[in-house]
Amino acid sequence: MAATAPAAPAESEVDRSRAEDDPRSAEPEEDGGNGQAGPTAGAQQQHRLAKLPLSRIKALMKADPDVSLASQESVFIIAKATELFVEMIAKDALVYAQQGKRKTLQRKDLDNAIEAIDEFAFLEGTLD
Amino acid sequence: MAERPEDLNLPNAVITRIIKEALPDGVNVSKEARRAISQAASVFVLYATSCANNFAMKAKRKTLNAGDVMSAMEEMEFERFLQPLREALEAYKKGQKGKKEASEQKRKDKEKNSTDENDKSRDEEDEHMDDEQEGENEGEEEDVEN
Repeated sequence: MAATAPAAPAESEVDRSRAEDDPRSAEPEEDGGNGQAGPTAGAQQQHRLAKLPLSRIKALMKADPDVSLASQESVFIIAKATELFVEMIAKDALVYAQQGKRKTLQRKDLDNAIEAIDEFAFLEGTLD
Repeated sequence: MAERPEDLNLPNAVITRIIKEALPDGVNVSKEARRAISQAASVFVLYATSCANNFAMKAKRKTLNAGDVMSAMEEMEFERFLQPLREALEAYKKGQKGKKEASEQKRKDKEKNSTDENDKSRDEEDEHMDDEQEGENEGEEEDVEN
């Protein structure tokens, strides 16, 4: 089955994606797994631009049965967006802690933020 | 090896660091709060992915791209993320380009030095790794329609 190249010709991003899907630059795939010793090995080259490991993000994305392929850029952007999300929710939860005159963020502060803030509605009922 | 999405967590240390850097000094975060934020982050990834994938499917593409993710952010009402994401993407693209050029340069250098024994064995290792990587890559990318 010729499902090889992710090259959808119509895509404007395809050249970029293809370049990035080049095995040599496919660092995010390797979470330090294969013990690659060579200098071009991706394992250590974590993109300093993203704090979260792209391999883990990608694994999460792949958990969705409808997702077949994802460009490296998209994985990176989701990683970055997740970082921004964490910052945002932490800050929003802090407001509730401060209202309670506390300096420690607690789970209930999170719950309050989720309930109050529209953008966090998707989280309702999803956390343990 | 099928992991449930709920089992795929993001590394605690990194989540903690992101939280700490976002909050003022002197603020602490309870373990439960940290855990909840980490979970929320995973849910965010899943939700964003699903949203982005809808855009890709609408455009009849099989590969999710950065534009799809941007559209998803808008749809999820996280417009405030768009500007910083665009900037990060630019920096990322530049970095990728530099890396590709650097590894191509290294390759060329290696080919030149292939008479040197050390480099030779490294060369072989390198090729082998590339094959492995390629194999792995294709394995991953071709996860294909489940």
